[in-house]
Amino acid sequence: MIRLECDKRFRELIDRSFVGEVSESERRVMHDHIRDCDGCKRYVELTARTIRGLREFTFTREPDSSAQVREILAHHTGLVRQHNLPFKIWAAFAAALSMSFVGSALVYQVAKLLAVPMHFDTAQVQAGVLVFWLLPSFCSALCLLTARGENRGIA
Amino acid sequence: MTLNTTAETETAKIARGLRERDMELLADLVERCQHRLVRYLLYLIGRRDYAEDLAQETWIRVLQRGSQYNGRQRFDPWLFAIARNLAIDYLRKKQKGVQTACLPNDRDAVLLLPSSGPSPFEAAARSEDAIRLAGQLQILPPLYREALLLRFQEDLSLAEIAQVLGTPVTTVTSRIYRGLAALRSAFEEGGDSPGV
Repeated sequence: MIRLECDKRFRELIDRSFVGEVSESERRVMHDHIRDCDGCKRYVELTARTIRGLREFTFTREPDSSAQVREILAHHTGLVRQHNLPFKIWAAFAAALSMSFVGSALVYQVAKLLAVPMHFDTAQVQAGVLVFWLLPSFCSALCLLTARGENRGIA
Repeated sequence: MTLNTTAETETAKIARGLRERDMELLADLVERCQHRLVRYLLYLIGRRDYAEDLAQETWIRVLQRGSQYNGRQRFDPWLFAIARNLAIDYLRKKQKGVQTACLPNDRDAVLLLPSSGPSPFEAAARSEDAIRLAGQLQILPPLYREALLLRFQEDLSLAEIAQVLGTPVTTVTSRIYRGLAALRSAFEEGGDSPGV
């Protein structure tokens, strides 16, 4: 005759051992108990049989399944890249534009220093920077927007 | 230690490949995981056609949100979690077509869609014991069934199952124990009682 409280405690331990949650000492105690307890021995057998049964479901493989997924993914990869491209172009344009203005401001400061010994006035310096620096760099930035595909240099 | 390092390298490689939308890596992942993914979805929702569709949808999500995989955990539980969320969304949309008596109490539970043919478990049972379990699995509460299948079919650890289900490990273990208890009855009813 198996005492109920003994059952409950050891059967919890047995369940835990099948899920992989018992320490080595608990496992020893459990094995010692199972050796002398027919009810728990039967319980272990049934649990092992249940788990073995669960592992014996064999699902048939659909031969084209992976190939179909790969095809769909290849199509979607193209779509995702196309979707991301406008953002990349505008980001590159914004970066080029900022560099153009920052560069022009620096060139203007240097040109102002050089203008004194060369007897240029402020208006001439401003016009020079505008024509020879700001406008060309601004046009280069605009080229990013108008260039076609791979000529943009953006992946 | 070496195994851990190898596993870390492997997951980090997957994370980098997903960020860069590396098609070669994605094709490799599909080859490795598609079978298990469809099997998991089939056991969740019970219909092969829907399982295949949801698996394709899952891979598209992986492609779109690959940057969210951090590479610190294994890839499989992350993949299963995406598939599970898609299955739940899908089943919620279908909920009106399903008899309310079949609906589980837990809002996150996944249930089998009614099908005219044999259940996925009956179709996949290859042994006498598996056939006996198939009937029990069909009527087992979905949350228990899912935890059992993730542990004993997909061989995920308890922590990984918790990650997939979005529940604490203690909840996962309790679902597995209750599920096992319910399934044991398949053998007890046949005269194989454990003798309590």
